Amino acid sequence: MAEGKMLDIAHISFLDMIKVMITMSGAAAAKGTLIRNAINTAEKIREVDYPTLDDFLAAIEDSTNPITQVEGKATHQGEFIFGLAACPFAPSIGNYTEVFEKLPDGYADFTTEFNKPSKVTDMYRVGEGAGVSPFCSVHQPMRSAIAEKIKIGGKKIKIYQLGCKAGSGKKGFADKWLAETGIAQDVVDKVLDNHMCCYYLKIVD
Amino acid sequence: MGDKDKLKQVLIVDDEEDILWSLQNNLCNDSLKVDILSASSGEQALEILNKSKQIDLVITDIKMPGISGLDLLIEIKNRYPYTSVIVMTAFPSNEYKREAILKGSLHFLEKPFDINELREMVTLALKEDNMFKGTVAGVGLTDVIQIKALSGVNSALRVKEGNHQGIIYFESGRIVHAICDDLEGEEAFYQIMEFNGGLLDSINVTEMPAHTIEIPVEALLMEGVRRMDEKSAALAIGEETFGNDDKDVDGKEDNAKKEDDMADLKDVLTEFTNIPGVNTACLVGRDGFLLDSIAISGIDTEMIGAIASSGFGASESMGAQLGKGALNMSMIEYKEGPVMLSPVGEDAFLVVVAEKDANLGMIRLKIKKHTSEIVESAAI
Repeated sequence: MAEGKMLDIAHISFLDMIKVMITMSGAAAAKGTLIRNAINTAEKIREVDYPTLDDFLAAIEDSTNPITQVEGKATHQGEFIFGLAACPFAPSIGNYTEVFEKLPDGYADFTTEFNKPSKVTDMYRVGEGAGVSPFCSVHQPMRSAIAEKIKIGGKKIKIYQLGCKAGSGKKGFADKWLAETGIAQDVVDKVLDNHMCCYYLKIVD
Repeated sequence: MGDKDKLKQVLIVDDEEDILWSLQNNLCNDSLKVDILSASSGEQALEILNKSKQIDLVITDIKMPGISGLDLLIEIKNRYPYTSVIVMTAFPSNEYKREAILKGSLHFLEKPFDINELREMVTLALKEDNMFKGTVAGVGLTDVIQIKALSGVNSALRVKEGNHQGIIYFESGRIVHAICDDLEGEEAFYQIMEFNGGLLDSINVTEMPAHTIEIPVEALLMEGVRRMDEKSAALAIGEETFGNDDKDVDGKEDNAKKEDDMADLKDVLTEFTNIPGVNTACLVGRDGFLLDSIAISGIDTEMIGAIASSGFGASESMGAQLGKGALNMSMIEYKEGPVMLSPVGEDAFLVVVAEKDANLGMIRLKIKKHTSEIVESAAI
C-alpha cells in the first residue's frame, strides 16, 4: 500500500467481493449476481411519468430524475442520444487504484463475460461490447431497469447502451444496439470523446 | 417356503454405481418379489454366479471395463444356460445388438429406458425361463429378422403388439413359414412387419409346423418395406385430404410429430419431468438467468436458477482448483431427494430436481442423451 493513502473500506470491500465471487463461482455466476442486484435496486425506484421530454430533461438538470439519482447528470446530445460525463464507479476505482495500483485479477474475464450475448443483456439492451469494466454490469442494467419505471407522456421508454469508455480511455461499442437503433458508431465515438458513457433513449409508441 | 415360492434371484451388473443403485432400489421396492444382487463388473458378476449357481436373471450393461456385457453373456450361456440375460446399453450400435442377439439374448434394452419397461421385461423373463424375451425398443424388427437369418439356425420369432401376435419361422436361417392373427404365409409376414413395436420372443423349435414361404429373406424384407412405405404414403394423403392433423394412425403420425416436437426445448425438458419422481427441470444460463423450465407449482424457478448458478459455478471452480478438468455433472443429495446440475453447451446448465426415490441412473442417462438436443433447441 502506498504511504499516506486513505482507503475507503466500503469501496474496497465491494471491489474485492467481486473478486471473491469470480474466484468462488466463476465470472458468469458473479456477473449474474451483480446484475440481479442492480435490477433489485432498480425495482425499489418509484414510478414516474413526465408529461414531455423537456420535463424529463429538466428532471435530469435538477437531479430529481431517477436515472440521474444513481449515475449523475447526463447530457442530451440531440436525437435522443445521451452522454454521461463521469462514470458513477469512477470514485471507487480511483480510490482502489490509488492505493493498490491496479484492479483485482479476474476483472478482464468478468468484462468479457458481460459483453457476451445473453438473455439478460438482451432484455436490458446492454453489454454486447459496451462493457469496459465489471462495474458496467451493475451500472448499465440498473439504468435500463430504472428506465422501465419511467414514462414520458404516458409512454414507456427503453434505454439502449451504445458505448462506454474505460478510465484508460479505451472505448467499447455495442454493435448490436448500434445496429438496432440505426446510430452510427462515429456519432457515439464523438460523444465518448467528452463522456464516459453513451446511451440512446427510445420512447415506445 | 417351497421352491415355487422361493424369491427369484436377479443380478444387476453395471460399472456405473448410481445406475446400479437406482436399479437395485427400483426393482427391490415393487411387486416383483425378487432378491436383487449387484455387481460393478463382469468379473464380480461371474464370482457371484459361481457362488450362487441359482441366479435366475442377469441384467447387464454392455460397455464395462474388463469383461464386457457381451463376454459375460457368452459365459452365462455356456455355464448357466437356464439363466436369462437382459442386455442394456447406452451406446446404441447395430454391432452390439447384433452380437448380443447372436450370443443368445433377445432381452435388449436401450438406455435410457423406462423403469416400467424393465419391470415388464423382468417379469416376463422370470415367468418363462426357457425363452428369451425382449422389446423391440431400440432394435428394429427388420434388424432382428436379418440377424436371425444370418445365424442360420432353426428357430421362431414371436412378435406381439397389443392384441396382435405373429410368429416367423426360420429353418437353417431361411424364413419358411409365418402366421399372424388369421393370416399365414407371406401375407402374415408382411402383416407382422407393419407392427410398430411390442415384444419379441425367440422360441426354440425343432420342427417347422408348415412350409408356406419360398422366397428368400431379402426379397421378403424388401417387399415388406415397400408395403410399409405404400401404407405410410396412403396415410399421409388421407391425413391431408381429411385435414385430420392429430389423427394417430398406428402411431406413425404420432411418432413423426414427436420427432418434430423434440426440437422444442419444452418438450426436451419434459423428457426429464416424465421420469417418475422428477418434478422440475430448468435450463439456466451460467449467469443464473432462467432460459426455460418445467416445474411443479410452488417452485420459484427464477430463484432456483440464481442460486444454482452459484452452486454450479462453485463446483466448476473447485474442479479447476483441484485440477480435475471440466465439470460433467454435479449432484447434491438432500434428505428429500437429489438435485442434479449438468453443463449444457458453453453458456448454460441443466437443473433437475428429483424426489428421493427417483431413478438417478435414468436422469443421468437422459442428460447424456438430450444435452445436444437442448443445445440445439435453445441455440446456446
